[in-house]
Amino acid sequence: MSDQPGQKSLKADSKGNKNEPEIDPKLLEMLVCPVTHGPLRYDREKQELISDQAGLAYPVRDGIPIMLSNEARVLSNAKVS
Amino acid sequence: MPEHPRSKDSSEWVPFGSHSVPADTKSQLVSAVFDSVADRYDLMNDVMSGGIHRIWKRRLIDELAVRPPMRLLDIAGGTGDLALRARKRFAAHKTEITVCDINVKMLGVGRRRARDQGHLHGINWLCADGEALPLPDRYFDSCTLAFGLRNMTHIERALEEICRVMQPGGRFLCLEFTPDIAPPLRGLYEAYSLRIIPKIGDWLTGDAEAYRYLVESIRRFPQATHVARLLGKAGFAGVRVNALSAGVASLHSAWRV
Repeated sequence: MSDQPGQKSLKADSKGNKNEPEIDPKLLEMLVCPVTHGPLRYDREKQELISDQAGLAYPVRDGIPIMLSNEARVLSNAKVS
Repeated sequence: MPEHPRSKDSSEWVPFGSHSVPADTKSQLVSAVFDSVADRYDLMNDVMSGGIHRIWKRRLIDELAVRPPMRLLDIAGGTGDLALRARKRFAAHKTEITVCDINVKMLGVGRRRARDQGHLHGINWLCADGEALPLPDRYFDSCTLAFGLRNMTHIERALEEICRVMQPGGRFLCLEFTPDIAPPLRGLYEAYSLRIIPKIGDWLTGDAEAYRYLVESIRRFPQATHVARLLGKAGFAGVRVNALSAGVASLHSAWRV
């Protein structure tokens, strides 16, 4: 529920590519946010790992999670805790 | 090498090759070095060291084999060279291996190679900064770091992070070049590393500058005794240093307490 109209251009690039490897479930289970060490949510559609506490979405590219805060998308409706 | 990333805060400067750069730009610069050499990185290691890096890595895995790891983290593991060796060596032990590197291109090369060798599972590939690991506390019983410590922006911070994600009683092994070679070999080593390595690098990867950085970063790296002290400060005990190949490289081993 974003009350902000500020939409960033979020063009899905290689969406629908069925050959794209999935992130390993074991890896998914182990990962935490590098900023807060809090839990992550996996958004399979967008291929992102979301840290609600940090308000960041880390991209998963080609099945490899990119857990760098400077590569992460800042969530526009982040609840700053 | 790409253009210089812009610094947001240039109050702290850290070594990068033969010069200094703002601390917040180093990791990007290092990552760019490896971007350009990723495809031929392991070949280059073989040529540069005459295959000796294989002996050093075998030595590291021998140390690890004293108590085969259940969960192994390989920091700055890039193309998975060490991870694949560990995977083969500990095949009977079902070791779960996580390769972590800041450069996703290196990881891509590693994963492709692992698949080509038939290792579809058992190795996790993870892009992360060694100074801010996306990993839980006290998770791994062993951790390795081969030729990566000198590329960290803050060595102390990287060692603290490694300590954090390791279980008490866990084993940490760190392989790194030594900046202080004893005199009989020093002249020869310097001539080789400063004149010849960048040439081979240029020939094999087309990027002499990247290899000039790698050589300079070795010369600027702290001495083995200093690294041992930093390990103690970060929370490790029983630190041992073994000089390899007439002191060209050092293998540090330590226990997480």
